[in-house]
Amino acid sequence: MFATSRTTRLLLHVANVTVIVFILLPLVAVFFGSIQSEKALQADTRRLMPLEVTADNFVVILTKGEQKGRIFDQVTYLPDNIKSFYAAFLNSAVVAISVTFLTLLFGSLSAYTIARLRFRWTVFLMQANVVARFVPVIVLMIPLYVVMRSLGQLNSLSGVIIAETGFLLPYAILILAPYFDSIPRELEEAARIDGCSRLRAFVSVVLPLSTPALAACGVIMFIISWHELLIPLILNARPDVMTLPVVIASLVGDVHVFFNLMMAICLLALAPTVILVALLQRYIVEGLAAGAVKG
Amino acid sequence: MTTTTQTLTTSTNRRRFAREMSAGWFAFFMNVPTLLFLGLVLAWPVLYAGYLSVHRVGLAQLRRGEFPFNGWENYGRVLEDPLFWTALKNTGIFTAITVSSEVVLAVMIALLINQTSIWTSRFTRLLILLPYAIPPIANGLIWSFMYSFQFGFLNRILFTLGLISDPVNWAGNPDTALYAVTVPYVWRTLPFAIILVHAALQGIPRELYEQAAVDGAHAWRRFWHITLPLLRPVIAVILILRTAFAFAVFEEILAITQGGPGDATWVAAWYSYKITFSPPNNFGMGSASAFILALMIGVMALVYLRTIYRRVTL
Repeated sequence: MFATSRTTRLLLHVANVTVIVFILLPLVAVFFGSIQSEKALQADTRRLMPLEVTADNFVVILTKGEQKGRIFDQVTYLPDNIKSFYAAFLNSAVVAISVTFLTLLFGSLSAYTIARLRFRWTVFLMQANVVARFVPVIVLMIPLYVVMRSLGQLNSLSGVIIAETGFLLPYAILILAPYFDSIPRELEEAARIDGCSRLRAFVSVVLPLSTPALAACGVIMFIISWHELLIPLILNARPDVMTLPVVIASLVGDVHVFFNLMMAICLLALAPTVILVALLQRYIVEGLAAGAVKG
Repeated sequence: MTTTTQTLTTSTNRRRFAREMSAGWFAFFMNVPTLLFLGLVLAWPVLYAGYLSVHRVGLAQLRRGEFPFNGWENYGRVLEDPLFWTALKNTGIFTAITVSSEVVLAVMIALLINQTSIWTSRFTRLLILLPYAIPPIANGLIWSFMYSFQFGFLNRILFTLGLISDPVNWAGNPDTALYAVTVPYVWRTLPFAIILVHAALQGIPRELYEQAAVDGAHAWRRFWHITLPLLRPVIAVILILRTAFAFAVFEEILAITQGGPGDATWVAAWYSYKITFSPPNNFGMGSASAFILALMIGVMALVYLRTIYRRVTL
């Protein structure tokens, strides 16, 4: 629309390249860091391009420290948390998948009633959800710890799943409700005349039409849950129930872990959500816009 | 409840729906799980945080299960703690920098990727969401590698470009640390803002620009008199949401500086976390400081609800 002259086009290209470099820079850093040894990173601290290329960092993480490879040959200490990478990855997957499923299930039930049945209390519930979205985890973390401690839910995945589901439900409802609202009522009314109950009309008419919104909401819930640090950090201290972000956080301040190993585990931890974003970008964009402003 | 469905239900199909539950009960049963979760994980803990904040709660009290009431003592001790005020000041600076730069950058980049005739813009558009996929704690560690004094990637780039001759201690210098931690935060949270602005741009009718072009308005005037006024609602949304979230920044601080050097990057969330979960584990003071943070964010949430979400009849 604006771009016509040669100089404007050139300036726009320059701006684009700047933005692309800014986006990719940290990702290049994590990649370069993860394919080198500690020695190589220390050998020439002014060198940009990798001095060597090795997969040993990944091998040592993925074999639970058994196959040390060349660069960890003389290393006697490896943090236990690095060795529990698989367990953490699995825990993160269990938590994220459960939270996604539960928030979609309960969130869609609520969002539908909010969109369709305007009682005073459902309107209030929607407003409560808007406010609840602002509540930072840090405020909940202390009472959550005390509550879960008294319920015996510390050091368990179920405690984390319950906490994250409750924490994310308001956001799921904010994303889903506007979409349900946009589906024509006539479709359900037709089904109701044919003898469908309210629940049936919702399950067999509205839900199948809502797959884009469910996909958008589901992928956003999965990403946030995969990224969540504070809830599992507070509730779980035992290595066998840690999630990936907690394992990564435990490397902070460990003087024996060097950047090469940290970058490798970061790369492995960010891969699943990067793949999701690459594949489902369109849905995420729609979901983020729907959850913030009603379109 | 005067929808067509209702009318049909009561007139033509009375017998068929005779045993069906009313809309009110249906709405209630559909919301039972949500209400349970919100009660257990949000409402109750928020109230409980208020309760803990006026009681003495340390490890010994947790073990015994008795929390003696101590009135406003926790709040008093928090408000007398110079570290709390430093943390609040740092949070304010951090929030002001990140939110203002995000709004400006989001508008600029959204306009940039809206130029569909520029092929590099289409490429940028493909990449724009990438930072959203990075776990915040991983983002923090990646930037601590970027900023590392001896081995950092940023210094390597600047050496290679010949811009510096001695390594710069970006996150280790008390004068620059707080500014250094704003960059990773902006990097990670900018996609959200860009997407909102870009979505709003799609809603601006082309005719407005065509008309302005006929009238001979230049690009800058078109932006100032057409685009910006129409973007105002979405900019308000970004301002409030991002301010509230930046107020509770935690992961990047934990990974990059742990509050240091000294107290240069102590922020409000870090204060609550450290007071509570490192010795002497003062849960009461931690709750009090978290509650102060929650009150400030609660005000923003209500402003959001009243001014922006008001239009929404949902």
